[in-house]
Amino acid sequence: MKSSCPQADATDRVGAVEEIAAQEPPTVLIVDDDPVARLAMAARVKRMGYRVLEAGDGQSGLETLRRERPDLTILDWMMPGLDGPSFCEQVRGDPDIGSSQILMMTSNDHPEQIAEGLARGADDFLSKAASRQEIIARIQAGIRTASLIRRLEQVTDQLRRKQGILDQELRAAARYVESLLPSAGMVVSGVELAHLYRPSLALGGDLYNVFRCGDQCLGMYLLDASGHGVASALRSASLASFLREDNLLRYVGSHDPGAILTEVNRLFPMTGAGEYFTIVMAQLDLRSQKVRYATAGHSGVCVHRRTGDLQWLAPPTLPLGFDSDCVYRSVETPFLPGDRLYLFSDGIYEVPNSKDELWGKERFAAALCRAADRTLSGALSTVVAEASQWSGRDGFPDDVAVVGIELKA
Amino acid sequence: MSMQVKERSMPNGVILELTGDLTYANREQFKTAVESVRQRGFRYLVLDMSNVRFIDSSGLGLLALVAQQFKLTQGKLSLLKPQAYVREIMALANIPSLIPMYENEQDAVAAYAKAA
Repeated sequence: MKSSCPQADATDRVGAVEEIAAQEPPTVLIVDDDPVARLAMAARVKRMGYRVLEAGDGQSGLETLRRERPDLTILDWMMPGLDGPSFCEQVRGDPDIGSSQILMMTSNDHPEQIAEGLARGADDFLSKAASRQEIIARIQAGIRTASLIRRLEQVTDQLRRKQGILDQELRAAARYVESLLPSAGMVVSGVELAHLYRPSLALGGDLYNVFRCGDQCLGMYLLDASGHGVASALRSASLASFLREDNLLRYVGSHDPGAILTEVNRLFPMTGAGEYFTIVMAQLDLRSQKVRYATAGHSGVCVHRRTGDLQWLAPPTLPLGFDSDCVYRSVETPFLPGDRLYLFSDGIYEVPNSKDELWGKERFAAALCRAADRTLSGALSTVVAEASQWSGRDGFPDDVAVVGIELKA
Repeated sequence: MSMQVKERSMPNGVILELTGDLTYANREQFKTAVESVRQRGFRYLVLDMSNVRFIDSSGLGLLALVAQQFKLTQGKLSLLKPQAYVREIMALANIPSLIPMYENEQDAVAAYAKAA
């Protein structure tokens, strides 16, 4: 009975073709200028059930190898023109065919000659005087190796393709995360913002923002999700979405940093894997020239006074999610014209050098002080460059984020 | 650096001696060791930190997580003799307000004897 469904029929046919392709016997190319020896070997290999191709000299053998990509090439050493070892060298020098399996035949099986042949690119040797069993065994071994190499090449190709897709997706996600970051420059009249962001992988777990709340106030935060990579970045993005100004008014009903952290602590518990956030939240009131701030397990916050003093603003507090009943309180400090407020993640100072010694907060603070005469963005670049120099490597082992705010004199 | 975990018993609970780094890389090993203690129904756990060189943010999270888990089952976690650097990192995250710390084993064990 004919199939009533032409589509199913077509699918069956495609399946059948694939099956035949899968069952196709391996191909062996025999390159030998002696027609009698070549024919004898061809007959023997055919009897083993393989497809056989023949070439009467090195040059045409090389062309056949490039065109047909046989599983195994049985190659005579002595040939006019391109001889066996030179043939091997050409194959190994060409990335397209470099992994071809070559079994070199020779009537001369001195160890030095075998060594030379192997050094110049042959995979195995076969003496012309070898027994029938040895010839069969060596051909089978060559075919076995060839099929392993083919499989390895296929898997490598698949992995490369998949890795390429993943890289593309990561880059797209990283662009999104960077689009969440604020624009540097004068955020409101008299207040300059500068920031630097160096995720350790394409995607980072640090995020920060600066936003206006009312006419004379500026809100800001810097958060650091524990862990690295995609999972941290997703968790950071979800917390950053919650910390939008309109949301805060709706759910917390206040701009007070302590009140916000107390609520966020309740809403973002620690994950089952023990992942959590540290955060510093601050509010700059331009009228009273004060900064109100609260931290949750985040020690990266300091004010560099115009007078030259550097003051750390980080009392020990629990990270978010460590204790659902925790109440976070705001603290106030003066912020006068010429003062600079810095928020940063621990990735900037927990940088090990080649001896595993950390750069540390003291060196970080000293670098900030040395950079006091520079512009705000210049100061950030200098400090990040010094940390990078300490590590002696290009990238940072952890995410690095630094935000600077300056009240213009 | 990897981490080794050795278990000792005490009245009412278990002491886990940690050697190495309590970090992201060693989190599974740490969680497995603690989970095994919980599975056997022990309610009191002392982590001997005297041979822990370094703790990172993941390690702090694990300590808080274990403290929460033991609290849920009316149990308790405490820490024994953390090294200066580890103590400093834990202090920055206010861990001492969450998990009691002891300078010697007798005090840690005695605290549980009273609790039990």
